[in-house]
Amino acid sequence: MASDDIAIIGWAVSPMERRTAKSEQQMLFEVVTDAVDHAGITRADVDFTVAGSCDYVAGQAFSFVQNIDAVGAWPPKRDSHVEMDGAWALYETWVRLLSGDIDIALATGSGRSSTADPALIYPMEMDPFYLAPLGADAMSFSALQARALLDAGKVTERQMAEIALRSRASATSNPHAQVSGAFDVDAALQTDYVRAPLRKHDLPPITDGAACVVIARADKAREICENPVWIKGFAHYSELHNPGMRDLLTSPSTTLAAKAAGIEEAPVDFAEVQAAFSHEEVILREALGLGQDTPVNRSGGPLAANPVMATGLVRIAETARQIREGQGRRGVAHSTSGPCLQQNLVCVLEGDAR
Amino acid sequence: MTAPSAGTVEMTIRFPYKRSLGPVIGAFMTGLAGQQILGIRNGSEVMCPPLEWDPKTGKELDHGALVEVGPAGTVVSWTWVPKPSAQHPLDKPFALALIRLDGADTALTHAVDAGSIDAMSTGMRVAPRWKAERQGHITDIEAFVPGEDPQGLDDSRPEEPVTMMPYNAEIPYTLPIAVNTARNAVALKEKRLIGLRCPVCSRTYAGERGFCPIDTTALTAEHEVQLPQTGTLTNYTIITPVQYPGQTETEPFARCMILVDDSDLVIGYQPVIDLPVEQVRVGVRVKLVWGDGDIEGWQPTGEPDVDDPDLVNRIY
Repeated sequence: MASDDIAIIGWAVSPMERRTAKSEQQMLFEVVTDAVDHAGITRADVDFTVAGSCDYVAGQAFSFVQNIDAVGAWPPKRDSHVEMDGAWALYETWVRLLSGDIDIALATGSGRSSTADPALIYPMEMDPFYLAPLGADAMSFSALQARALLDAGKVTERQMAEIALRSRASATSNPHAQVSGAFDVDAALQTDYVRAPLRKHDLPPITDGAACVVIARADKAREICENPVWIKGFAHYSELHNPGMRDLLTSPSTTLAAKAAGIEEAPVDFAEVQAAFSHEEVILREALGLGQDTPVNRSGGPLAANPVMATGLVRIAETARQIREGQGRRGVAHSTSGPCLQQNLVCVLEGDAR
Repeated sequence: MTAPSAGTVEMTIRFPYKRSLGPVIGAFMTGLAGQQILGIRNGSEVMCPPLEWDPKTGKELDHGALVEVGPAGTVVSWTWVPKPSAQHPLDKPFALALIRLDGADTALTHAVDAGSIDAMSTGMRVAPRWKAERQGHITDIEAFVPGEDPQGLDDSRPEEPVTMMPYNAEIPYTLPIAVNTARNAVALKEKRLIGLRCPVCSRTYAGERGFCPIDTTALTAEHEVQLPQTGTLTNYTIITPVQYPGQTETEPFARCMILVDDSDLVIGYQPVIDLPVEQVRVGVRVKLVWGDGDIEGWQPTGEPDVDDPDLVNRIY
């Protein structure tokens, strides 16, 4: 590794619950404590912190300000916040470490989705002139994208159910899964639509949760960590917001981000993608160039636990964990934001050659 | 670990925005008020709803190149909303759809009042049902309906261009009450002022605080200390109320920082009692006045002011 490479050296993922009694601050306190412990450092060793969270989800303006108490800002630290998934917070820490003057940074993602009805929260992220006044939420837009895929013959309702089944069955071995276990596809396909053509099994659970990832520059990573997980590439791209003006069958921003992150430089052993709705996995597999034999979301993915604002960062932590546990040497983590996969982030991770 | 929460509290946050529309969206909304649906030319294509720029290049479009589209169009994708929310345009089951209006190359998102999911299909033809009372808002079209013929046509046209748009949403939240917040509320009901003393650095924090930010140490019941109900005014601001939604004050009022005696705790944003705004000053000695289960404010004790030039820096 070159001395300016950067690696993940520690991480932590909170329990994933339908409704936690803990505040966001308490969830963060625990994942930050666990992640710096996992990295073998203390909060005082961290030079830069970035939080990803959302006031509309938290139900409080400037909610991230009090979260600083839990992350730890003493001695005074460089700190930043993104109103984005924690995956984008990690991206900012990575960019910051590239400048070379500091060695260790951590990113968090946190959200209590149980605070309110998602159908009322998520129109707030939409175009305020044409979309939000219609109460158009993320789930409804996802349904429009699923219908476009069905009409184009790119997926069937049964295949969507099978993606959900595979995800939840493999989540059985994930202690952080909120929803897991096999189900009967035939019976599931007889159930009512929640937002046609999406049924309950096509939807992510409503999840409270948080995650933290610690990264370090190469020399420091080698010094404190036996098996760092290297960030080989990291990029994100955005598309036009309004889904009515996009081709909903593809995700060009995912493809651009994947190329920029160097996905094509070597074979990919597995991926963790933020496909919160079953059909999104079909689009993302294609956009990332992953074949059907490449395992995707062995953790269960967002269909097993969807802590909004942390879901993407959990994908990165999961990818790092699977590499460290020897389930592959090169993995891809993906995160997304906005309606119908508007903005997409790709992080390529590798373990040391064995 | 001790129980981290003491129940929940419910509250509703309102988002009453007024948005300025700009030249293109303003023209579109003005069009709606007059029962006209406008798109904008972008090269050989027409975008509806219109944007000010070309999304592919970011190049500004000719804002005068607005063209009427529709009124009928084709459903290119749809979903069914069986239980509408308070934010939805209809209060009965409806379809949310992407509709490519005749003459447009992009799709408008809107509701389709089809009566039943069985009446919906990709490729179906729909036309707008206009509201009688229109204000230049996307919901001036109440919904689209199956068929070719617009409904609710009238002769009403706006007298002025529409330049602003109201937006009103509200979200009811259910939030956990942290145990420290609950214990502090009990203390306040009992007219006790409590603090939490960090076991590492001995700094005192307000009774509801969760963590010492210096040591990142959780503060719990065992760190509770009883505080004197007297203090010194260290800093203040005089607020001239602006009449935004929810503002009940009409006259200028003070909000003060109070350094509690025998501690290093500064309580922020406190009201003062029997101290006219023109007499509010750094150094005033004050005592706590209790309201119904909470601090009503701080009242001058009549003691001489504290003369300490550093006092003004105590804002936390």
